[in-house]
Amino acid sequence: MTSSIKLIAACALIVLACIGALSFWSEVRNDEDREWVRHTYLVVGKLQTVRIDITQAETGQRGFMLTGQDRYLKLYGAGVNQVRQDMTELRDLTSDNSRQQEAIQRLDPLIAARLAELGDGIEVRKRSGLLAGVEAVTRANNGEKWMGQIAAQIGEMRQTETQLLSRRLDTAAASARKIKVVIVCGNALAILILVVAGFVIHRETSRRNRAEQNLKHVNERLERRTADLSETNIELESFAYSVAHDLRAPLRHIAGYSNVLVQDYGPQLDEEGLRYLGKIGDGAQEMGRLVDDLLSLSKIGRQQLALQKTPLDSILRQVVEDFAPECSGREVEWRIGALSSADCDPALMKQVFANLVSNALKYTRKREHAVIQVGQTKQNNERVIFVRDNGVGFDMQYVGKLFGVFQRLHKARDFEGTGVGLAIVQRIIRKHGGRIWAEAQLDQGATFFFTVGLPENNTSKKPEFPVTEEEMHVARS
Amino acid sequence: MSHEVEILLVEDSPEDAELTMRTLRRNKLANVVQVAEDGAEALDFLFCRGAHKERTFSHPPKLVLLDLKLPKVDGLEVLRAIRADARTKAIPVVILTSSKEQKDLIKGYNLGVSAYVQKPVDFEQFSEAIRQIGMFWMLINQPAPPEAFVANKAHGA
Repeated sequence: MTSSIKLIAACALIVLACIGALSFWSEVRNDEDREWVRHTYLVVGKLQTVRIDITQAETGQRGFMLTGQDRYLKLYGAGVNQVRQDMTELRDLTSDNSRQQEAIQRLDPLIAARLAELGDGIEVRKRSGLLAGVEAVTRANNGEKWMGQIAAQIGEMRQTETQLLSRRLDTAAASARKIKVVIVCGNALAILILVVAGFVIHRETSRRNRAEQNLKHVNERLERRTADLSETNIELESFAYSVAHDLRAPLRHIAGYSNVLVQDYGPQLDEEGLRYLGKIGDGAQEMGRLVDDLLSLSKIGRQQLALQKTPLDSILRQVVEDFAPECSGREVEWRIGALSSADCDPALMKQVFANLVSNALKYTRKREHAVIQVGQTKQNNERVIFVRDNGVGFDMQYVGKLFGVFQRLHKARDFEGTGVGLAIVQRIIRKHGGRIWAEAQLDQGATFFFTVGLPENNTSKKPEFPVTEEEMHVARS
Repeated sequence: MSHEVEILLVEDSPEDAELTMRTLRRNKLANVVQVAEDGAEALDFLFCRGAHKERTFSHPPKLVLLDLKLPKVDGLEVLRAIRADARTKAIPVVILTSSKEQKDLIKGYNLGVSAYVQKPVDFEQFSEAIRQIGMFWMLINQPAPPEAFVANKAHGA
């Protein structure tokens, strides 16, 4: 859409530029035409002047012949000079026109002859006096003939020049008409193009307006939905609160009264009766754990992240120390690599490590020599933290269920648990914008990988992974 | 009443109340325990009014065990009232509740609760918690002298 507007605008621009250039060219042509008109009038005027000059020379000669006065001789001389000067100018003016040059070639001898005749008369007058002069002029009596021919030649030249002008003006008028047509059509075209562009822009604008309107509606809907959702969230929160309070209370009563029953009436019950009571107590406890785990899971969902640059090393050290009591009586080899800092919520990240380490400890319980490795590596330019154990592992066929709530890949009889721990870990990692995945092989151990953001100011000076296998061994037995 | 009330148990669940009493009794910690089934009743007792108008402020209970979710007036309101009044503010109050909600913990401590205990589901853990609370507040802790209840003195009762 935008590209078509650009195209139309470019067309309009090109058309307008052409019209501008054409107008300019036509204006230049006009100037040239005016120059030609002026030139023609100059030539015609000059031709006229030549005739006047000759007449002046004739007048001077005649005056001198009659009176013998010098002032007529001067008039004659000025006329002759003027003729020569004007003829030179005429030659220059018509230098571009061969036909006129030829005419001048013909005119020149005629003028020369006439002037020579006038000169001869003057010479005779000067030498032999008035009568001899008159006689000589009368004898020759060619003046009329020469002047007739000169006038004819000048007339021809004038006509040639006028014809030339009229032809030039005709051509100029024709091209001016064409240019006018082109300019009018071009302007019409430009206007049309602009109208089309305006239409397209209008259509585009209204389309955009509609899209904007749509977006606004969608946003409003989204806002309403968000409001609904947060309301639902609040409801869920109060529901969770009720679950905590109201569900735990009857559970406590079941556990409590079955215990009281054992304490007060135990001696009156046989072994089977006591076993049943034990089952009731165990069931209540199990359900209490489930409720508690569910609550902590929902709590993480609602919790705001308190992100800060967190040294994962020290968090992991705390977690390992916290698990020391669980390791007593077992042979656990810890292989802990250096971890660089992360931009995360320290309390939640501690829970991630705690849950993963707790799992590792749980599923290596049947190993004589448990090995738990924690470290970081680099995959696709991304820091990946891993927790690896040599425990019972799991079948990769069920890896999709691994992080689901209440999903368990082991029998409760073999390994206790509610199936919420990894769901919590996943929720925390996802809340941090990271990913978590696992690789395992049945009876060969499992490895959990996750990514968590590096602190921003730290990324530049972070060439310290992949891990230098600088491991700290904490063996407990 | 032949004996002054030593523990005020504010608990709306008769079962929880019974199990708590049983534990206290078995540990010989509950000579006289008064049970209030809702917040309003607890306040009546503490402030000697309504059914308890015969009581005086001169013998405050040594301990209040306070549930949070209560009919009429909830536990945190009861706590606020206790701490707001000079005649009761020095009474140790232990919140004993099912809730471990962050906001309850924060509100409780901000209102000046003496301790906050979540009732364990497991009965043995529950009994142990009650036993330890009772032992500590009834036997180990030094109760506040009457002078600590300033208004009590001023009333000269």
